[in-house]
Amino acid sequence: MMATKFDTRTEGDLSLDHLVDRPWVTIVWDDPVNLMGYVTHVFIKLFGFSKERAHELMMQVHVEGRAVVSSGSREEMERDVQRLHEHGLWATLQRDDKI
Amino acid sequence: MSNFEKAGGSFSLELTLDEAHILINLAEQLLELLGEGDFFHHYDTSDPLVQLLAMPSEIVTPEDPVLLRLLPNAYADPEAASDFRRYTEPALRSSKQRNLRIIREELAILVDGDHGGIIENLDGDIWLTALNDLRIALSVRLEINEGSFEKFELMPDSEPEKSVHAVYFWLGWLQGNLLDNL
Repeated sequence: MMATKFDTRTEGDLSLDHLVDRPWVTIVWDDPVNLMGYVTHVFIKLFGFSKERAHELMMQVHVEGRAVVSSGSREEMERDVQRLHEHGLWATLQRDDKI
Repeated sequence: MSNFEKAGGSFSLELTLDEAHILINLAEQLLELLGEGDFFHHYDTSDPLVQLLAMPSEIVTPEDPVLLRLLPNAYADPEAASDFRRYTEPALRSSKQRNLRIIREELAILVDGDHGGIIENLDGDIWLTALNDLRIALSVRLEINEGSFEKFELMPDSEPEKSVHAVYFWLGWLQGNLLDNL
């Protein structure tokens, strides 16, 4: 469970590790141009999602205006954003806690 | 009517001469737009002075809204966005240019032959991405939004923008046709 992982940390660990480990996220934003089928296709191609998961995330972008499509280190998220931009999707990255 | 068809791992596309002309014209316009500020493209990069002058510090946020949409900021924070752009924009730009050059070459077969027909051995992903970039570019110029199709249908034929809207929606149909055939 999530809680146990944090419970075992000492206070010192929290202040340091939390900063280092804090994940970054890649966000895809809605736009009126990209076809729904295209966005789903790009999600499957770039992230290896199942058709169902890719469709679900595409719908989240469409309905809620944005969706987190990946999380990890800053370098990894920069790579994901770059690949999404190559495919014409509007994507940004940010620290997880700023959502 | 134009159509993509799957043939093994690649695709064929049937176009009229007019359709091929429209696509090649759009691809060339976008290549021209993407070429602006592309120092590595315009100058002989083997010259050390040019290489020095073309350092990534020259790369700034595009003012043209089409370029800003195609080469968007990766961060909300302007400083982080600008740092990221300095090191990644040339690769992003070349990836878009490469796709457009490929489809331009393939379309040239039809345009040079001066008749419509079928072009074969097309890479589905390159065409999907290039068609998408063309749609994005047009959509920014036409200020496309959720209500644009209804607006287009009600436009009188005398409306000067009607034909460009028609091209935009045709591109969407064409891209959808490729998606359906993947």
